[in-house]
Amino acid sequence: MIPESFDLTNCDREPIHILGHIQSHGYLIAIRPDTYTIVHASDNIVDLVGIPASTLLGQPIDTLLTATDLPASTLVELLNVSRRNETWEILNPHRITVNGTSWNLIMHQYQNLVLLEWEPVGDDRNTLINQQLISQALTEVQTSRTLADLLQNTARRVKTIIGFDRVMVYRFNEDWHGQVVAEEKDEHLESFLGLHYPASDIPRQARELYKVNLVRLIADVNSVPSPILSVPNWSTDKPLDLTHSVLRAVSPVHIQYLKNMGVQASMSISLLYRDKLWGLISCHNSTPHFTDFTARQAAKFVSQLLSSALEFRKDKEDQTNLLQYRQVGQQLHEQLLLSDDVARALTKQSVTALDVTGATGAALVFNNRVYTLGETPDEQAIRALVDWVGTTTTESFLETNQLPNLYAPAEEFRAVGAGLLTIVLSRELNEYLFWFKPELVQQVTWAGNPDKPVTVEDDGIRRLSPRTSFAAWTEIVRNTSERWTEAEISVVVKLREDILQIVTRQANEVRLLNQRLQLAYEELDAFSYTVSHDLRTPLSSIRCYAEILVEEYGQDFTPDAQALFQKVIDSTERMRRLIRHILYYSRMGRTELDTRSIDMKHLLEGIREEILVTEKDRSLRIEIGDTPPIVADSTMALQLFTNLLSNAAKYTQLTYEGIIKVSGRQTDQEVIYSVEDNGIGFDMKQAGKMFDLFKRLENARNFEGSGVGLAIVKRIINRHNGKIWFHSEPNQGTVFHVSFPVTPAD
Amino acid sequence: MVDILYVEDNLNDADIFCRLMGKLNRTVTYTVLHSGSEALDYLTGKGQHEQQRLGLPKLVLLDINLIGVSGIDVIEQTRSFERTRFLPIVVFSTSDNPKDIQSAYQAGINAYVVKPGSYQATGTLLRKLCDFWLENNTRIDYR
Repeated sequence: MIPESFDLTNCDREPIHILGHIQSHGYLIAIRPDTYTIVHASDNIVDLVGIPASTLLGQPIDTLLTATDLPASTLVELLNVSRRNETWEILNPHRITVNGTSWNLIMHQYQNLVLLEWEPVGDDRNTLINQQLISQALTEVQTSRTLADLLQNTARRVKTIIGFDRVMVYRFNEDWHGQVVAEEKDEHLESFLGLHYPASDIPRQARELYKVNLVRLIADVNSVPSPILSVPNWSTDKPLDLTHSVLRAVSPVHIQYLKNMGVQASMSISLLYRDKLWGLISCHNSTPHFTDFTARQAAKFVSQLLSSALEFRKDKEDQTNLLQYRQVGQQLHEQLLLSDDVARALTKQSVTALDVTGATGAALVFNNRVYTLGETPDEQAIRALVDWVGTTTTESFLETNQLPNLYAPAEEFRAVGAGLLTIVLSRELNEYLFWFKPELVQQVTWAGNPDKPVTVEDDGIRRLSPRTSFAAWTEIVRNTSERWTEAEISVVVKLREDILQIVTRQANEVRLLNQRLQLAYEELDAFSYTVSHDLRTPLSSIRCYAEILVEEYGQDFTPDAQALFQKVIDSTERMRRLIRHILYYSRMGRTELDTRSIDMKHLLEGIREEILVTEKDRSLRIEIGDTPPIVADSTMALQLFTNLLSNAAKYTQLTYEGIIKVSGRQTDQEVIYSVEDNGIGFDMKQAGKMFDLFKRLENARNFEGSGVGLAIVKRIINRHNGKIWFHSEPNQGTVFHVSFPVTPAD
Repeated sequence: MVDILYVEDNLNDADIFCRLMGKLNRTVTYTVLHSGSEALDYLTGKGQHEQQRLGLPKLVLLDINLIGVSGIDVIEQTRSFERTRFLPIVVFSTSDNPKDIQSAYQAGINAYVVKPGSYQATGTLLRKLCDFWLENNTRIDYR
């Protein structure tokens, strides 16, 4: 029964190495290595020795040849020699003539049984030609021909040696589908060169066998296989293992497959590269065709030469690229070391990040800028790509030759970036280096529809059967670029280390600078504090002694001298205020914020009271409107509103009836307070430097002031991540707005 | 025994203090010392004051920006002795830095007064201080 969800993995499970049959062009017996007792024999052995298999089973080997013209001792001596040498294969093939016909005897031991197989001999004259071909092959592998040439010539040689009408070199891809990469064929045959075959055509356990038994011959697909009989007491669940047999029968599935293709004889030779099945030399013949042991050995030898060349040549290709990329990588590293600008070193100098791989485009996303080289997606697409890479778990690098399959929007720019190689410089800062390879629109010609390998028979029952149609079936492979080679990946991974080293070094330098700046800041703070304290003390003395002079000797002064002394006293007062403001200013920049929700009604009323005390001799009204709380440092908030309201009071001194309105309103993100006065106002055009330290506007000249008050306000606003803006016109009053974010700073 | 011990290393400030004390309309006795270490000797009866077994002043006026032993040191040490643990100490300083104010309170002062910086204002202030600390304030008496 074929399960409903039938798929080709069923094919994978077919037990092809224990089919219980051999091909009928030869004969097989299996004996125990110690007693030489016959435990298995092919049913057709009677044709060779004249005794039926059933009679031979359980008998000593001597029995085998009793009905032939050979003495039994011939075989026994041969076995003895092999046993003494502890190898059964050294004498392969051993020529035996039975009743006038020559046979090659091929022996091997496997799983505690010795298998003896007889198969026909070939034409001895070929041996010399084959030796010549082998030596040609050897010479060619040693000279540096291209891989394509090597494959083609190997196919030609194998064809000459084994005489099949078609010899193909079949190469496996990573997904185990295969492609015909070289072909030597008789002229009348249709070419299979370039055709692709689905992975299911050569199922997994067949590939495993190809790795163990390198040569496989199917002499005639139409021959009726001969069953293998076993001694009567042989356990049926331990059939003879034919893994290394040269006569092993063929799975019916494979026979069907070959018949579908019009092939009557086939032979394959495995091509191994680093113990992995790289490909096969696959030989077809449209009529039954037997290739004898020596010719098979010659073909195998030629193929093994090719395998070693593969290893050598592929390595060399990789090495050359790796060397070149490494040199570029080294140069980039030097540029990085010499420059303090990572982006410049990677994108603007003689060698760029683009040269480090075979990519056609590269993009550096660094310090929130995008630098592109060569053919790349546009900046917007690159930024979107950055976001996407950020969502992946990529820690150091990511490579794909099918980006649109991972990230659908990449389909838009597949013409330049179907393949992506990226290294992560900083996930936190979204910094990456990308390399792009363009889409290679590949037309893959399949031998038959790869998606329809299952056939449904007329009776409607699904049958395990290979594809019946081998008409070329093409498929366009989109969204795919050339692969990233190991050389490319290893070089960019190294480059990543180099860049990170430089970035870390620079970060450390910045950190050191920061530490020094911090230190300088603290020194400045201590300095300004000390200076202002030290200035205040003698200033107080000047003032006090001036006052003492006026008090104790004032009666002796002329009015002019009295006025002069008053100027001294007033000046010390101004200087004292200035020093105090500078102290505040430096303190507002340095002190740590202690933010809390502030009762603004209370705060503003306190300020109003103080101002009204000092301004009691004139008409001034301070109106307090809505007072939503703000989240701020209370000392600083007091300072800020005191400054704003004092300013408003100061610049309304000349107004007949001064009015100051202060109120706040709350939005989703912030609390905005406005302080409005009807004072002298100012020209907005001059207001640019209003918040700079010691800057005063022209029409404020006649008012007392240090030029520090608004600088303090601005500083406090900055510390709270708030905003300050204003509107004014000369003689039309001024309104200042300050906003505090709802979520506090720091 | 004096009414006020004034610790001040600035000679001008000390001079102005003396002048203003002389102008008060009553007699207040005072001693001015010019360093923190002298003040400590005075208060703990050590050094040159060892033989004198002085009574404690009713008020210590203390500048905190002293060269050498700082005002804060003076406060802390004073507070560590049983005899002077509750001695009224008022800081009299040019500094209005919140940090200085905080650390002075932490060390255990009774009040913090910023020097007004003018003669008149200082006179008014000293009068008030004398009124309060010498007249109104009730002390714990250690002898």
